[in-house]
Formats: sequence, C-alpha cells, structure tokens
Amino acid sequence: MKKLLLAAAIGALCAGAFAQGKDLKVAIDPTYEPFTFKTADGKPTGFDVDIANALCEQIKRKCVFVEQAWDAMIPGLQAKKYDVIISSMSITADRLKVVDFTDKYYNTPSKIVLKKDIKFDGPASIKGKKLGVLKASTQEKYALGELKTKGVEIVSYDAQDQVYLDIKAGRLDGTVADTLEVGGGFLSKPGGEAYQFVGPELYIPKYFGTGAGIALRKGQGDLKKQLNAGIKAIRGNGKYKAINDKYFKFDVYGK
Amino acid sequence: MTSNTQSYLLVILQGSLLTVGVSLGALAVSILLGLLGAAAKLSGRPVLTALGTFYSTLIRGIPDLVLMLLVFYGGTIGINTLLEKLGSEATIDIEPFAAGVVTIGFIYGAYMTETFRGAILAIPKGQMEAAWAFGMSRSQTFLRITLPQMVRYALPGFTNNWLVLIKATALVSLIGLQEMTYLAKQASSATRSPFMYFLFTGALFLVYTSVSLFALRKLNQRYSLGTKRGQL
Repeated sequence: MKKLLLAAAIGALCAGAFAQGKDLKVAIDPTYEPFTFKTADGKPTGFDVDIANALCEQIKRKCVFVEQAWDAMIPGLQAKKYDVIISSMSITADRLKVVDFTDKYYNTPSKIVLKKDIKFDGPASIKGKKLGVLKASTQEKYALGELKTKGVEIVSYDAQDQVYLDIKAGRLDGTVADTLEVGGGFLSKPGGEAYQFVGPELYIPKYFGTGAGIALRKGQGDLKKQLNAGIKAIRGNGKYKAINDKYFKFDVYGK
Repeated sequence: MTSNTQSYLLVILQGSLLTVGVSLGALAVSILLGLLGAAAKLSGRPVLTALGTFYSTLIRGIPDLVLMLLVFYGGTIGINTLLEKLGSEATIDIEPFAAGVVTIGFIYGAYMTETFRGAILAIPKGQMEAAWAFGMSRSQTFLRITLPQMVRYALPGFTNNWLVLIKATALVSLIGLQEMTYLAKQASSATRSPFMYFLFTGALFLVYTSVSLFALRKLNQRYSLGTKRGQL
C-alpha cells in the first residue's frame, strides 16, 4: 500500500513535467541594463535577450524567458527550473566547480577610472589614492590583487551605484569597473566629466575570467555543443553584429 | 512624470497585489501551524512537546533568506535527484506562488507558535478547568473558552509577526515571484533612477501595513470588551 501511494505521489508530481518539448527555458535577471532589462510594458529585452533569441533560432527551439533574482540564479539552474542562464554571467573558476559554461558570447574589459587631474603611470603611481569597487566582483579581486598590494586604498561597496555616489561626494578618487558599465552609468552622466579611463584594458583571466558565457548544468553536453555551434554561427552570419550594433558602438565580443 | 515612468509605477502597483496575496496566504498557513505548534508544545506529551520545540527553535534561529533557499531549492533539488535515481527523466517544477505561501507560512508559523503559546498560558487555568467540569470536550473547550480569550493576549505579538511577514515577502523574488520590490529593482535598473521607484515601493508597503494596523486595532477593541485597561 505504501509503495502504491509513493508511486501515485511521484506520478502526480511528474504530471506535466514531460511537456518540455522544444522550449528552451532561459533564465534572466532583468536588472542589468543594457544587457537584460524590462521595457515599461514589461517585456524582457536587451543584448542578452536578443542573443538568446538568435541562438534559439539557430538550434531550432523556442526561447521561454524565466525571470530569476540573481542570488538564486545557480540554485534555480540546479533545481531544473530552467535549462540555461543567459544573463551576463561571467565564466569563473569558482562557478565552473558547480555549473558548466559554453564559450563566451561577449567579453568587455574593465578599466581604471580616475579624476582627470591625477597622473597615472602604472598602479604604483597612484599609491595612497582611494578607489571604490563592487563587493564580490571580478574588479574587486583585481583591485585587491594588483592595486592594494601597491599601496592603493580599496573600499568595497554593495552596489556600483554607491561607488558613483561616493565619488560624487568626494570620498573616492575613482573606481575599477567594466568599461561599458562605467561608461553608461557614470562617465556619460552629469558629474562624470571630471573623470577618465586610465591604463590598459584589463583582460587578466585570473581576475576577470574569460567573459560572459551561457551557464548549463553539468551533463548537458549535447546542448552545450549546439549552443557553441550557435554562437559561432551567429558570429559568422552577421546576426551577432546586428544585435551588437543595436546596443553598442564597438564589438563587445572582445579579444 | 513621463509616460514611461508611469507605466513602470503601474507595473509595481500590480506587483503589489501579488505581495498582498502572498502575505495573506502565508498568514493563513502560519496561523494554522502556529496553533498546531502551540497545541503541541502545551500538550504535555513529551514527543509532541519536543517536536513543537524543535520546530520553533530551528526556524526562529535561521535567517529567512537561508531558509527560503533551503526549503525551496533544497527541496526541489532533492526531489529531482530522487527522480533521477529512480530512473525518471521527469523534473518537477513547484508552482512559485504556492511555494512562496508555504515557505513564508512555514517560517512565520514558528513565531506564531510562541505568540499563541504565550497567549494560552496567560489565560487563568481555572477557565479551562471550569469548562472541563461542565463536561466540555477538549475541542469545545478550545473553541468556546480558550480561543476567544487568547485573541486579546495574542494580538500584540500577532501584529508584530504580521508586519514582519509582509516585509519578508520581498524575499520571494528569490523563488521566481515578481513581487513589488523586485519589480522596483527592475524599473530602477532600466531607467537608472532608483530613488523614485524604491520610494514608491516603500510607500506602498507603508499603506498596506497602516491599513492592517487599523484593522487589527479594531479587532483588539472588539476582543477587549469588558476588560479593564491597565492604569497606574
């Protein structure tokens, strides 16, 4: 009797679960303009969303977007709430321990931003200056590894917006951030005129990983192969460029 | 105010209905669990008392955020792994609204347990003994004697639990529900003007909590009829 009940219970749980069909469930956290965000009428949009749709077209499946808060992104993937994450997730060694990634679909470099009157000639030249970074970010790792060791003071914040607020309040001399993020969110805004990029584009994989990829559960090898082929295909056939030019003035695929 | 801003605000306003829905559903679950928990703790049977104590101690001692992740994702991953082990290709997908209601209800049930337990203990024991002497059964005693009298003692703690519960719904975006705080985050990210949307969301929370406070005060007056207010 107990076994029968168990079977019935599992059967009930499974009902409807087979209806996966050709839909590819894609998780996004639409709080990262211009990569993933929602328009005023509530539609998911942005670079990631367009790339996802182009890839779905390539592998002949239909993208169904699932909105998911960032903090529970990977648990949701493991709980099979969706098949993949296409939400500007950087490929890092730590994440690779728990999930699998496709090749990168974009890789924007980070850069140091400083007040225009500060002369920059390598990290040692800004000893004693104060830079703000986002907590737990790749930029923080870089700043702690390469700048703090040279005597630059590093302060970590919960959100990149707070870094900008403190720069405006005069408590910081600059920041290390993704060139796109800091370009759109700070340098081009009022209050950003007095600041500029300095030094080279930072690509160091040890800190920054190798770009943003599509995250999958381990063991989804076939899907990974298809998506990798898809990324190559849209790079080749001009679809990627069309999407890229809709949002950015330069090629975000990176080096 | 641009029409764009207005549409974002409207989306948040609609999302706030979900917040209210989850809160009320979770409240119902937590009241039920609270009454069961309090009954278990006061039952005088060692196993039930231990179970009730375990529940209220464990749940009240772990942060909501951690519990939410554990209960929802831990549960789903567990079941899916089990299905895999049994050789099934299927995956389960828990309906997020129900999951939110149950998870928050489960957490706040632990707080309700303690609130109700205290309220029941505040009723003079003679009341229950008199009811038994009249030949009332346990359930009759509870419904006719204990419940009406414990409401007055439970309300202050209950009100606190409820206010915290409403605000805890801001966490259900973690399990995939688009409640108003998450929608505000989306709107502020899309427009890069956070204060507008977060202020609006804060104001909405304040409206809902104020309305509840008003309703609970009325309820308190109703159940305090015939009792003297404390005075020095």
